[in-house]
Amino acid sequence: MTEDDEAAFDEFLAARSTALLRTAILVCGASPHDAEDLVQNALEKIYRHWSRIRHDNPESYARKVVVNAAISVSRRRRVIQEITFARPPETPIDSPDVELRDTLLAELRRLPARMRAVLVLRYWEDLSENETAALMGCSAGTVKSQAARGLARIRARMGTLEGAWG
Amino acid sequence: MRLEEELAEAMETRVADVHATPMMGSAIRRRHRTRRIRFRAAGAALATAAVAGAVPVYLSMNAGPAPASPAAQPAGDARATIAREVVVPVVTGANIEAATRKLAAAGLRSEVAGAEIGPDWTITEQSPAGGEKAPEGSVVTLTAVKTPDPTLTRRPGGGDSTPAPDPGGGEVSMPQDLGDLGDGREFGGLRIGYLPEGLVWGKWSVKDGFGTTSYSTSWREKDLKPGMYSVQAIVYEGDAAAETGRRLKGYRQEGARTVELGDTKGYLVRMGEAGRVGDDELGTPTIVWRERPGLAVEIMMSPDYYGELGEKKAEAELRKIAESVVPTG
Repeated sequence: MTEDDEAAFDEFLAARSTALLRTAILVCGASPHDAEDLVQNALEKIYRHWSRIRHDNPESYARKVVVNAAISVSRRRRVIQEITFARPPETPIDSPDVELRDTLLAELRRLPARMRAVLVLRYWEDLSENETAALMGCSAGTVKSQAARGLARIRARMGTLEGAWG
Repeated sequence: MRLEEELAEAMETRVADVHATPMMGSAIRRRHRTRRIRFRAAGAALATAAVAGAVPVYLSMNAGPAPASPAAQPAGDARATIAREVVVPVVTGANIEAATRKLAAAGLRSEVAGAEIGPDWTITEQSPAGGEKAPEGSVVTLTAVKTPDPTLTRRPGGGDSTPAPDPGGGEVSMPQDLGDLGDGREFGGLRIGYLPEGLVWGKWSVKDGFGTTSYSTSWREKDLKPGMYSVQAIVYEGDAAAETGRRLKGYRQEGARTVELGDTKGYLVRMGEAGRVGDDELGTPTIVWRERPGLAVEIMMSPDYYGELGEKKAEAELRKIAESVVPTG
């Protein structure tokens, strides 16, 4: 690697590492600490071949490596560890919004890993069906049906609570 | 609000406070180095084993079932009288897989030195040499090195990791990272004051072959072939020294044998493959110590040379070499 490669890698990290870490947390449901380990590991792979990858859409390549790693981590664990998240201090603990979000996230974590990854990529990362399909190595149709099924499952579980989504 | 949006918002809230540490870059590079050190240490241990002459581990890569016992003897064995002779094909420069196939086709067996080798490694030496006659079914011993992977070699110092061709035109090519070292005794900020009589410089050196920053070279008995070693030294600095520090700590915890070296203490171990301490008698006799913070030294003796000198003399010599090491920088 040249000095230029190294500098470009640092720039890449500055721009993308937080987003990748967040994606990893959402996809694998792990604690930020575990997710960081996963992301570092994935990025080491990127770094190893950086001089080649940097000119070839490193952003989507990195996301792919991280999402795949997150999926296999959450599969390996089987029982996804329940995590308590530090809430922003200004949020009232008893806010119904916060409760709803926690329940939603808990339901999200109960989904199969790939289904969860599809929901994260589609709705949080805001990727298109095609982009998600390319990243996950499946067809756009599969992405569509996985997303629909994931939402339906959450809706079914939440239905008794709210019944507000149509 | 639609469920998708609610979900997206929940996810956003969940990770909004999460930020990657600014230390991410150095953590990744550290990981990379650790991986590379492990990777290269395995290669280095193999190189050591391969040039030792007494190879600690043979990984047999026989293409077929072992032939009947007389033919199974190595070439040159006097008992192999009834075997038909075949011409040994030249396999240096080929990868292990191709070489093994070629030898098998000629009716020969092959053995490759080392434990952690891959089928794509390049053969640098063969014995008997190509063109020689050997009894059918006899063993051709191969020495292999990892085929350089351009994506893994980074030399900030500007040195090139490509092994230089042997100036003598022989089949062995060893790295020449530090250039001509004369008697080889002064390198990597150290001087080796004492070497057993009859040893000459091995005419090779490698920088960062054992982690960053490290230097290594070796000496051999005059009648040994180039590429073989009798005594090898490694100097560890920087990250490599820190890595060696952890290894030393491990030795201490394992209760490895210690030797007094002036005012410091070294560990006398038998080193197995890939930096592990072998619990058998086959490993490479090694003294390793911390010269000062950020500088560690390792002196290894080839098992052959050790056997030749005998345990008592060999250990005394190893110790004398270690005691004679003085930093120059």
